[in-house]
Amino acid sequence: MALLRSELPLPLLYRGKVRDVYEVPGDRLLLVASDRVSAFDIGLEEPVPGKGRLLTQMTAWWMSTHFPDVPHHLLSVRSEDILRAVPALAGCRDPWEGRTTLARRTRPLPVECVVRGYLSGSAWKEYRESGTLAGEPLPIGLRENGALALPIFSPATKAREGKDENITLDHARRLLGRERAHRLQKLSLDIYARARAVAAVAGIILADTKFEFGTTEDGTLLLIDEVLTPDSSRFWPQESYSAGSARLSFDKQLLRDYLDGIVGWNRCSPPPPLPASVTSATSRGYREAFRRLTGSAVEDFKPPDFGT
Amino acid sequence: MGIENDRSPDRYGHPLSARYTSRAMERIFAPAFRFGTWRRLWLALAESQREVGLPIPEAAIRDMRNHLDDIDLEKAARYEERFRHDVMAHVHLFADAAPAARSILHLGATSAFVGDNTDLIQHREALTLVRSRVVSVIRALARFAAEQRNRATLAYTHFQPAQPTTVGKRATLWIQDLLLDVEEIEHRLRSLKLRGVRGTTGTQASFLQLLDGDHRKVEQLERAVCHRLGFEATYPVTGQTYPRKVDHAFLSCLAGVAASTSKMAHDIRLLAHLRELEEPFEAEQIGSSAMPYKRNPMRSERICALARHVIALVLDPAHTAATQWMERTLDDSANKRLAVPDAYMATDAALVLAENVAAGLRVNPSVVAANLTVHLPFMAMESVLMEAVAAGGNRQELHERIRRHALAAARGMTKGEDGALFARIAGDGAFGMTEEQLEEQARPEALVGRAPEQVDDFLAQHVAPVIERYGAREDARPEPGQVRV
Repeated sequence: MALLRSELPLPLLYRGKVRDVYEVPGDRLLLVASDRVSAFDIGLEEPVPGKGRLLTQMTAWWMSTHFPDVPHHLLSVRSEDILRAVPALAGCRDPWEGRTTLARRTRPLPVECVVRGYLSGSAWKEYRESGTLAGEPLPIGLRENGALALPIFSPATKAREGKDENITLDHARRLLGRERAHRLQKLSLDIYARARAVAAVAGIILADTKFEFGTTEDGTLLLIDEVLTPDSSRFWPQESYSAGSARLSFDKQLLRDYLDGIVGWNRCSPPPPLPASVTSATSRGYREAFRRLTGSAVEDFKPPDFGT
Repeated sequence: MGIENDRSPDRYGHPLSARYTSRAMERIFAPAFRFGTWRRLWLALAESQREVGLPIPEAAIRDMRNHLDDIDLEKAARYEERFRHDVMAHVHLFADAAPAARSILHLGATSAFVGDNTDLIQHREALTLVRSRVVSVIRALARFAAEQRNRATLAYTHFQPAQPTTVGKRATLWIQDLLLDVEEIEHRLRSLKLRGVRGTTGTQASFLQLLDGDHRKVEQLERAVCHRLGFEATYPVTGQTYPRKVDHAFLSCLAGVAASTSKMAHDIRLLAHLRELEEPFEAEQIGSSAMPYKRNPMRSERICALARHVIALVLDPAHTAATQWMERTLDDSANKRLAVPDAYMATDAALVLAENVAAGLRVNPSVVAANLTVHLPFMAMESVLMEAVAAGGNRQELHERIRRHALAAARGMTKGEDGALFARIAGDGAFGMTEEQLEEQARPEALVGRAPEQVDDFLAQHVAPVIERYGAREDARPEPGQVRV
């Protein structure tokens, strides 16, 4: 069953574009990833079935398999741990099971940490218009969707509603402080580089990705939210990649391309309804990405134990 | 000589094509590709001649274009028997299929126009396939290196136990060799040119005559042919042929690839002897006809055998380049015909095996750990010395004591005893350390240095971009039954 909107017996903190966030005693959060989908920062009416579960499990897979050394807010995605934390959820497991994360509560930092290995989307737009990325000059003659010589950190502001905006490194330093900005830049580049190698071997080009960070009461920096998913990244199937041309994607590009092709729609709400063929093709892409990375279908995937 | 006889039991079949090489590689050196490329060259010449104003009828071009691949090899063999000339045999064969082109086919050209230009096109196609295969091996090894990034193992210098490394780190050494090969291949492909439209001694005299002494049009003709075949440039000057050094450069590049696969396969064979690593072994595979318990690393052994052939073949084109007289002598021909396809097919076969082995490598963790444990006390001695000196010991005195204990332990081990080095040190009051404290100095993860981090950085910064660039080409996918063991 696709889930557009969760209604759990817990205090609701807010509904994001995809996640419903509830408060759990003990400075913890429950993040329920719905099957909602957004494009161009606008929520769409139609769900992509199974997406919430897939994003939740993929994040858990990355953190447990490849980044046990990176401090993150994830406590568990396993039903037994979540039920122990919130016994009231025992009554009906269907709306949350598999798609829900128990996490430490943090104060989110006001900058989205985007890392780009390829020149696409808004980065391509900035480059085409001003020859820069995140305000820093790039070599001339780069192509759309072409690989950058080195991955680049290109921060953005965070908007719970409406559009995220790309900002310069200087702007990020002003928002975060010089030292913390430097630390986030280094950490983001490092995680991206390692993940890109894992993805490449699995037949996926991780063209870019977005990380979010938060701090706990005692000031500890944690990686938060979803990590290295097709919602927060561009996933390109290796076999169909060729720089400068449109391609099949394992991410939301299909949706963006579809919406882009609608004459007369100006990227403002409400968007026109999506045909089932577009949502099911998007779902297929997400599932294939999951299979290539983890080696199993999302249904057969055993949620990892974070020892919490 | 009919082609059906090639399969008869009293004919010799080339083992590379019969047993080892992939169909994708064999195809590039098979008659259909070779003679199909000749026909495309003749077509490109006629089209380009028409473009610069020669009276080539459109019907001739249409006729040629419609018969690029229907090549009757038996008929070609009968023509060749008559003319004793392979190119003229195929001129007549093509003219039979495309009669409107009979009067203009091969106009102004010499045999090297089709022969040599086709050789260069084969180099391009075959080396591109080799590149895909090298990247496939890199991909399989990268997965292995990532999985084994922090599995501590004994390193070997002089094939004697040395400071530990990790299994994954060792695999990055194999990958780096192959990355260097990729760079070399890229350079070769970028600098490859066509021999072009040059006539018998490379002066373009026949074309200058055809084009009424118009030098500009001769240059234009050559450019047009070149672009039609997907090349940027031709060699600036030639005799009758392209420079024979090109074959040597390309085969040297293949020898580099062969050396990389061979080094990896040698390592795997040595590690298989130590029981630390195994290449894939089929459930029903038989190791030896006489010794049924055997599990021989035969795939790796075959990689070494094939690679040796490629490395040895580099001498052929070097000698050919060294012994060409003036504008051309024909002592190149038969040798090229043997050396070049052999080098590509053997490299291809080694790479197909290398990918199979790399993708199916099995580590025996308990053996790796056990081999390491036996030698760990020796590895830990430097750190024990530092610790004991820090606790107030005399460095020179303790060094001498360690040397004696270690020699005694090693002597014990040559008699098959447990060396018990830690017990010897713990029993020596000069160190004041218990066996437990000593073991703390010998934690494998403390002795592997930055090996796991080096694996991460190497894969992220150097391997991922190459895999992404050359990704998964269709023709590099394994074919059913490709690995015959």
